[in-house]
Amino acid sequence: MTVAALTGYFLEKIAYRPLRKAPRLVPLISAIGASIFLENAVELLFSPQLRNYTNPDILHRGSGWTIVINHSNVIVPYTGVFSFLLSAILLVIVYTIVRKTRLGRAMRAVALDKKTAALMGVDVDSTISQTFILSGALAGAAGVMFGIHNGLIYYYTGFIPGIKAFTAAVLGGIGNLPGAMLGGMFLGIVESVGPAALGIDFQLKDVLAFVILILVLIFKPSGLLGESLAEEKL
Amino acid sequence: MKKTYLRQSFDTGIIFGIVHIFCVLIAFNAMLGSLLAKIVNVTSSLTSPAVGALIAYAVILGLWAGIASALRQRELSDGKRLLASLVTGSSSGLLAAVLVGIFQLMLILNINPRDYLTNLSLPFMQACLYSLPGLLGILANFFTFLISAFVGGLLVVGWNLHGFASIRHQINNAPKNWIAKLRSGSAKKQLIQKYVFYALLFVLIAILPLEWGSYWNYVIGTVGLYVIMGLGLNIIVGLSGQLVLGYIAFFAIGAYTMALLNAPIPHNLMWGFWPALVLAILLAALAGFLLGLPLMRLRGDYLAIVTLGFGEIIRILLNSDLLTSFSGGPRGVQGIHGPTIFGQVFSDVNYMYLIILAVALAMYVYNRLQHSRTGRAWLAIREDETVARATGVNTNKYKLLALVIGAGFAGLAGAISAAMNQFIGPGDQSLMASINVLCEIIVGGMGNIPGTLLGAFALKGLPELLREVENFRMLAFGALLVAMMILRPEGLIPSQRPTLELPEETPPATSSTLTDAAKIKPPEENPHD
Repeated sequence: MTVAALTGYFLEKIAYRPLRKAPRLVPLISAIGASIFLENAVELLFSPQLRNYTNPDILHRGSGWTIVINHSNVIVPYTGVFSFLLSAILLVIVYTIVRKTRLGRAMRAVALDKKTAALMGVDVDSTISQTFILSGALAGAAGVMFGIHNGLIYYYTGFIPGIKAFTAAVLGGIGNLPGAMLGGMFLGIVESVGPAALGIDFQLKDVLAFVILILVLIFKPSGLLGESLAEEKL
Repeated sequence: MKKTYLRQSFDTGIIFGIVHIFCVLIAFNAMLGSLLAKIVNVTSSLTSPAVGALIAYAVILGLWAGIASALRQRELSDGKRLLASLVTGSSSGLLAAVLVGIFQLMLILNINPRDYLTNLSLPFMQACLYSLPGLLGILANFFTFLISAFVGGLLVVGWNLHGFASIRHQINNAPKNWIAKLRSGSAKKQLIQKYVFYALLFVLIAILPLEWGSYWNYVIGTVGLYVIMGLGLNIIVGLSGQLVLGYIAFFAIGAYTMALLNAPIPHNLMWGFWPALVLAILLAALAGFLLGLPLMRLRGDYLAIVTLGFGEIIRILLNSDLLTSFSGGPRGVQGIHGPTIFGQVFSDVNYMYLIILAVALAMYVYNRLQHSRTGRAWLAIREDETVARATGVNTNKYKLLALVIGAGFAGLAGAISAAMNQFIGPGDQSLMASINVLCEIIVGGMGNIPGTLLGAFALKGLPELLREVENFRMLAFGALLVAMMILRPEGLIPSQRPTLELPEETPPATSSTLTDAAKIKPPEENPHD
């Protein structure tokens, strides 16, 4: 988590801060460039092969509690429960930070209106840096959970979850924390159950995720719980 | 004041030091070393690089650090600038020394970190210590940086010395003088120049494909296809300002159309090259239309992510088992038949001519569009969509048009590529290919033709020449994108926005607000008040 947080800090400092005043496309392209750079840096530092996660014994992958539903055994894996609980704890922590602390207030103020927040005495640069550190830390935790649950990682594993993270955030409404959690859960359920329920291949679960993203953005750009930032700001 | 500049140069050194540590850990120094070694004809490899090559790399980095540090302190005296570069050298040298100190420890304790960081093999670590025992290796690293940074500072200071003033002026102004000389001269001379240039170009284009062998035909042909794609993406991103990240999907649609209509498996419909080409373009354009229709409302970043998702959808679908019977699945489609001329299948020379024709067509279409009403509408949309809408431009129609035409270009490129390579597979249609094209137009310059050409040559032609760099290519891409956005977001050749042409107004001889105000007589005072 620390490494991811640090990466977030440096990322913001190098790739995003100089571009704060630029038109919209420029920071986006810079973000893409930075993401390519980071992915390939990881590839070069640690080899491009798949790497294994060795879990501590409590979290042995594949084993879990067995529930009997309809005369068939369903295994609830330990790693899954662990991820779920950890993310719930992290959500509570982040929610507290954003709602109750000074930093959280500063973040919300900067999100609303940077210049006025600066006039009110908020250190915009420092707040944005801290936001990136926080989100980096969360992403790092997510990465670890992913590794524990799935066991195999390589430098490119983060790409698709990154897009799905965006989908989940948009689903719930950008800027809305419980919405993001809800969006994530919704997306996860749809991805796991969807292909089986709709009778299509498991390979296509990513396709399902993207289709949902497109549908949500078309019909309800403000997300399920809502903040409207997807449409053109007039 | 003194404290600030010393602190700044120290920080610069720290940054260079961190970059150095990173480069060592990814064996970048070894790679540079092997490049340099090739020139000097010494053996050097990634795993046991030659010590001299590593020293050369460190010297270059140190020089750069010194130069950067001295340049930064522009207003200070020469002595202070030298001191700045010295401080920079020492701080980056310090970091380098710490790194190789750790290496030395690992060598002594015989720890092999190969499991964690793939590049740190024992020979590699020893080479980083310049094959010197113990403390000497660490000190050598430190002093390499210190000395080369100092030399860098000397260079900067020396360059600015008075003695060199005249030479410096000449070098700085040479390009400007040269261009001015070209542009001068009578109109007739200009015309002759233009004709000669085009005649030469025509001759080159006609003869070169026959002469330079199939490897170059293939490389330049691929570059040509990328130019077509670059122009298409330029229409969407550069001219009308919509960032589309899944562009490769249209390429895939075009390619697969050509493939499925012209290959024995999976369906044996031999439609022939030209009808399939037309259909490929049309289908790709249709896909652009269908994709664009629901996305008109979306803001820039959201549009990008959604189109990214679309590109990925196409890739996953093509790769899946579901559509294997239709599209060949992960194995792709092989044995695509190309066009025939006079009964003979196209050779690579013929493909080259075909691609040149296609590129010329694309450039022509692009140029005409750019300077037409549609092009101006796109510019308006790009600059400020709300204002464009307010002035009566039908933004939806023009945005869709941009997508359709851009997608059509990609379809063209895809179809030709499928026929040329006689194979198409879902692996090529990844996000990286989309980003390749995007990189190309961003680096070269968005919104104009020379920029696209430059970008295509730089990003496709160069890696073919620099095979060694293959490992680091994507890394360089990423860094290049970020750097370009920070330093020069308009690209190497920025697009010239067409300026409004007004008839020359002759201003009055003397005009200033003061004189104008003096001309206004104050209202006459009524003497009777």
